[in-house]
Amino acid sequence: MIKKKLKIINKLGLHARASSKLTQLACSYTSEIFLIKDKNKVNAKSIMEVLMLAATKNTIILVMADGIDEKEAISDIEALFINYFGEGE
Amino acid sequence: MSSFNIHGVPVSSGIAIGNAHLISNALLEVIHYQLDKNEVPSEIKRLSRAINEVRKDLLKIKKQLQKDSSDEFSAFIDTHLMILTDKNFTDKPKKIINKDSCNAEWALKKQMDFFVSKFEQIEDEYIKERKNDVIQVVERILKVLLGHPSQSTQINKDNSAILVAHDISPADALQFKKHQYAAFLTDMGGSTSHTAILARSLNIPSIVALQNARGLIKNNEQIIVDGNQGIVIINPSEDILKEYQVRQNLWGIEQKKLSKIKNIQSKTLNNEKIELLANIEVPGDMQSVKDNKASGIGLFRTEFLFMNRKELPNEEEQFKIYKSVARSMKDKTVVIRTLDSGADKLTSADTKISANPALGLRAIRLCLSEPQLFNIQLRAILRASKFGKIKILIPMLSSISELRQTKLLIERAKKSLANQKILYNNNIQIGGMIEVPAVAINAELFAQELDFLSIGTNDLIQYTLAIDRTDDRVSHLYNPLHPAILKLINTTIKAGKKYKKEVSICGEMAGDSKLTKLLLGMGLKHFSMHPSRILGVKKQVLNSNTQKLGSWATKILNTKESETVETLIRKINQ
Repeated sequence: MIKKKLKIINKLGLHARASSKLTQLACSYTSEIFLIKDKNKVNAKSIMEVLMLAATKNTIILVMADGIDEKEAISDIEALFINYFGEGE
Repeated sequence: MSSFNIHGVPVSSGIAIGNAHLISNALLEVIHYQLDKNEVPSEIKRLSRAINEVRKDLLKIKKQLQKDSSDEFSAFIDTHLMILTDKNFTDKPKKIINKDSCNAEWALKKQMDFFVSKFEQIEDEYIKERKNDVIQVVERILKVLLGHPSQSTQINKDNSAILVAHDISPADALQFKKHQYAAFLTDMGGSTSHTAILARSLNIPSIVALQNARGLIKNNEQIIVDGNQGIVIINPSEDILKEYQVRQNLWGIEQKKLSKIKNIQSKTLNNEKIELLANIEVPGDMQSVKDNKASGIGLFRTEFLFMNRKELPNEEEQFKIYKSVARSMKDKTVVIRTLDSGADKLTSADTKISANPALGLRAIRLCLSEPQLFNIQLRAILRASKFGKIKILIPMLSSISELRQTKLLIERAKKSLANQKILYNNNIQIGGMIEVPAVAINAELFAQELDFLSIGTNDLIQYTLAIDRTDDRVSHLYNPLHPAILKLINTTIKAGKKYKKEVSICGEMAGDSKLTKLLLGMGLKHFSMHPSRILGVKKQVLNSNTQKLGSWATKILNTKESETVETLIRKINQ
C-alpha cells in the first residue's frame, strides 16, 4: 500500500468536472484507491463520495492506493492534481 | 385572459416575446405505494432497466455532442453518466426497495433526498450547486419509470417558444440548445445555475428563481420576458406588446454596437479617464464583471453572505470569499461594504420588528451595537486585504462620532491581528457611504476624515424625499432628478475635489446611461454599477467632453423643477 499527500491547486477545487476526471482515472486501476480529508475516507472510484468530500482549493488530500498497480495509480493521480485537473487554473 | 406580471432574478439580459412551453417535472409526481414481498424482485428489475435506458440515452447524447465538439456540455454529461453508474448511487435504492417493499420511484427519491441534504451541508457554493446534478439524474430515471417520453424525443421547431421549467439539467440544456428557445424561465436557480450559464452562452434572456412560474403560466400562453429587469409579462395587452416589440429591436441594435466598445479604454473626448466599476453581491457575479471589462469592484454588497442561512458566516468563510474576489481582480480595486442590512435579516440577532425598518437599527448602527459580529467581518476583510487592492466601505453613516467609533473598531481588529502575527494591509483605505442627507450636507467634514466617498443614490433619494420605494402609493414620487438630490450629489463631489478624495456613485443612477452626461458634468469620475450596465455607460463616456458639460451641468443645478431637468437631459442625449 502507498500513501501520498496531495494539494488541490485548481481554482474550483474538486467540483463536478474535476471529480469525474479523478473518478474516471481511479476506475482504470485494479488497486483500491481511497481519498482522505480530515477524518473522511472515501472511495476514489465513486463520484458521489468524491463530490461529498467538498474539497476546495488548497485542501490537502491523503491518497491511498492498494493493489498490483498502486504505483502507477498514485503517480498518475498526482500528475492530475499538479495539472490542475486539466483546467488550466 | 387576464394579463399579469411575475418577478424573478434576471441572469441573462435581453427581451423575448413568444409562447410558453412548459416542461413537466417528474419529481413532483412521485407517490409512494407498498409492494407485496413477491413483487420486490421485479420492481428492482424495473429500476435497473430504467437506469440502463437513461445510460443509453446519455451515451447517445454524448455521441452527438462529440460531433459538435462542445467541451463544456460533454463534461456535464460525463458527470451524469458517472453518477448514474456509481454503485453508491444506484445500489442503495435497490436495497431500499428490498427493505421497505416500496416502489422504485419512491426509493429513488428517498436516496436522492439523502444526498441532497448532504450537499446542503457543504459550504463551498460551487460544489453545493452540484446537488442539482444528482437531482437531474434522478429526474431522468423517474421520467423513464413513470413512462414519460424522454426529452430527446420531444422536438420543438418553433424558435419563439419560451421554455418554462422547474430547473434545467445540462442534458436537457443540450437538447434545448438545438431547439432554439427564445428564453428560459425557471422556478429554481441562481446566477451560477446551469440555466444561467447556458442562457448567457446562447445569449438569450433568462429569469430564474420565479418560485412558481410553472404553476402560474399555462402552456402556449403569450409571454414577454424582460431579462433586463427580471419581469415576465403573461398575456400582455396590445399596447404593451407593441412597446416591447420596439424595445426588443432597439435592444438588438444596441447590443451589437456595444460589444464593439468592450475593449476600448473608458475616457472622454477630452482624454479624461473615467473609472467604470461593478457592483456585485456574490462571488458568482465575477464572470459578468470580467465579461464587461469592469475596471474594478466598486461595491461588494456583503449582506448576501449573511442571508438565507441558519448560522452567520464565520471569519474563515468570509475571509475565503473576500480573498477569492480580491485575488481574481488582481491589482484592481475591490471595495467591500460592511454588512448593510437590518437585524431582521440576521438569524442570531435580536429580531424585534420596527415600524420603519429603513430608519431603524441597520447597517453600521447594527454593527456598532453588535461589535462582535462586526469584528468578525472586519478581521476577515483585513486578512483578505493582503491578497489584493481591498478597501472598506461603511454604510449608512449619519454622524462623525459614528465614523470615529467605527474607525476605532477597525483599529482594534487590526491590533488583534497584529498580536496574532496575522498579516493585513495596514494602509487599507476606509470610505463612507453618502446616503443619509445629514452626511451629504456635511460632506466636507466626512471628506476630511475618510479616504473616499461613495454616494448611495437609492437610499439618499429615499431619505431626502421621505419616500418609501416599496410603497406603491408613493413610489411615483421617487425622483433622482429632484433638484435637492442633484444639489446633494454636487455638494459631495465638490467636497471630494476640495480634499482630493475619490468620490463615486454606486446607486442605480450610476448605471443609468441617460444620466451619465449630467454626472460627468458635475465632475464625477468613478461610476459603480451592475456589470450589465457598464458598456451602455461607457458608450456615453466615449461621446462626452467634460469641459463642455461643466457649464451645462451648472445650468441644470440651477433649475427649479425636475421636469425642466428631464427636458434638458433628453435634449443632450439626442
